[in-house]
Amino acid sequence: MSVSTSSEIATRAATSPFEFKSAANLLRIEREQSRTLGELLRDLHTCPDSSIFQHTFRTLQEHHFIKEGFSNDFAHWSYTEIGAVGLGERLISLDVREFTNIADLRARLEGIVSDFLAQNPRARDQEAVSPFYFCSADTVVVPTEIKAHNIQEFIEGLRAVSVHSIHYHFIEARLRRELETNDFSIWLKRDLGLPGVAARLNQIDIYTSTAEGVRRQILRTLEGPLN
Amino acid sequence: MEEPRSAVQSQKEGEGQRAESSTVANAVTDTTARPRERRAPRISDTPPPPAPPPLLQDYAPIIGKSQLDELYFLATAVRGKNVKMVNSTAVGGGVAEMLNRLVPLLDELEVHTRWEVITGGNDFFEVTKSFHNALHGAEYTLTQAAKDVFLQHNELNRQRMSFDEDVIVIHDPQPAGLIASKKDHAARWVWRCHIDLSNPNPDVWSFLKPFVEQYDATIFSSPSFARRLPVPQYLFYPCIDPLSEKNKELEQAYIQGVCDNFGIDCSRPVVTQISRFDRLKDPLGVVQAYKMAKRYVDFQLVLAGGGAADDPEGNAVLQEVNDVVGDDPDVIILNLPPWSALEINAIQRASTLVVQKSLREGFGLTVTEALWKGKPTIASAVGGIPTQIIDRLTGVLVHSVEGCAYQIRYLLTHPEFAQQLGRNGREHVKENFLMTTNVRRWLLLFRILLGAN
Repeated sequence: MSVSTSSEIATRAATSPFEFKSAANLLRIEREQSRTLGELLRDLHTCPDSSIFQHTFRTLQEHHFIKEGFSNDFAHWSYTEIGAVGLGERLISLDVREFTNIADLRARLEGIVSDFLAQNPRARDQEAVSPFYFCSADTVVVPTEIKAHNIQEFIEGLRAVSVHSIHYHFIEARLRRELETNDFSIWLKRDLGLPGVAARLNQIDIYTSTAEGVRRQILRTLEGPLN
Repeated sequence: MEEPRSAVQSQKEGEGQRAESSTVANAVTDTTARPRERRAPRISDTPPPPAPPPLLQDYAPIIGKSQLDELYFLATAVRGKNVKMVNSTAVGGGVAEMLNRLVPLLDELEVHTRWEVITGGNDFFEVTKSFHNALHGAEYTLTQAAKDVFLQHNELNRQRMSFDEDVIVIHDPQPAGLIASKKDHAARWVWRCHIDLSNPNPDVWSFLKPFVEQYDATIFSSPSFARRLPVPQYLFYPCIDPLSEKNKELEQAYIQGVCDNFGIDCSRPVVTQISRFDRLKDPLGVVQAYKMAKRYVDFQLVLAGGGAADDPEGNAVLQEVNDVVGDDPDVIILNLPPWSALEINAIQRASTLVVQKSLREGFGLTVTEALWKGKPTIASAVGGIPTQIIDRLTGVLVHSVEGCAYQIRYLLTHPEFAQQLGRNGREHVKENFLMTTNVRRWLLLFRILLGAN
């Protein structure tokens, strides 16, 4: 079995180029408003899929700069507006990358809240300091001019694109493709023949870093085989 | 126009040396400090000429090329379309200020945007002012006469205007009745509500609601400001223009000059609230918090605002504040004219912390301004402020004078944490509350309404 050298990897042409994209989102206010945990459970069941997506996947993008850690809106609201610390902890531990469809994510959210209320029945009707307003988003995929034909161009492209592009390809791709992976890893494995790098990329923890921090980790992982 | 009055407190004359400088990390009450003699500041009595509006390219250093390219891409699907924006005043107020920037930027993207202002007599604007207050929850008896005035003037404007554009955007309740023209034109109609409708006077809202329900889409500044409506409700946060006089970068020498002019000692911590002298901004509460915190840490308090010159209540509040402050040399009270954007910008940039201890607030763009400047901000959890300040992440939320005093002490003695709040706050504004972000929102909405998405 031949071992690829750094120079060979650097110049290897991809079978098809990687086209960087991004997404622009317009927020819509939905009808659901929860004032208690009981209402939250009810509204989690009835709200549109796009609301679940907004308050989990998209909110991560909106708070990409917070290095102190921001998981999802449901966790944040439980902590700050209800004071349900135990529930907040469980919701914070949700990793959206485990989910390839909204139905499963919704079921998990409902399960966590339902379990908490079963153990803490008096928390069901406790009024929040301020309600949880369900929102959703209309999305437009935005192409960029940046394409990569090899790993070097890919690295340059990653440096140049916005954090929203990184979010689109690295996090949202899971739902789009219904796979437990991301656009970058798929391309690296399929089009560049770098399965090891692809797997390492997929292990990067998005919750303990800002989006710029994730970008730096991706770049370090890619630059490894070239050194 | 009445000349603006200098409101800087007079100082007792005395010998003395400048108070020993203290760093933020070692802020200790310095009881040996002697007050500096403070001269009356130089304040211009005429407004400066308006600066030309920036071009889209001017925002590239702030938002980055990729974000700018995104705007150009989004505009391609609605290029050549015509939009009309209608509001109630061409000058003064946040809506006019926003439209002054938005309209040229949309035009630059070849979304041809025309801005029109409705006309009306004193009776109409008195009625709509009453409606405005009532929609904010004030007591009000809605009479048939008031309804007739509203309807009559909306009809007069409707007859005067044309509505041949592709999209008509009506701002706030005053022109909401223009929707009666919808049936005669092919345009898509949008009602942009800039006010807080969370607790409206039921009679006034019942009167306006049938108009609002005819629109194709509505826009609110916060989910908490919205009502239950059978039409789509979009979320457009209010925004600041990072290139305006109020928010643009300033040379350090200019900032120092403004501080010198107003007697602010930049070598010592400065805590600032920028607001009209209005009871709802709670300046007395801020002074109370200052006094409580001052027992533990050394700092100056700046209360800078305006509106007192032509507002009897504002005058009264200013006097109350002066009375409570007395001759404390570390409290600087500035009653500034409306054209003091650069001075306010400089004061915010010179501040160690910014406070916004309002009792009621709309969205709170003064908070946005402070966050954009990277200033650690302590603010009341009212109105739109919690949208901007994610507690202990992009700033600190407080609910009382005591809370405000404690957070002033805490942030002045934990500068690394305070600076991280400031950094996060700026990123939060960059992500959500800049003019270019709102341009993107408008383009997305036009695409959706015109079926180009």
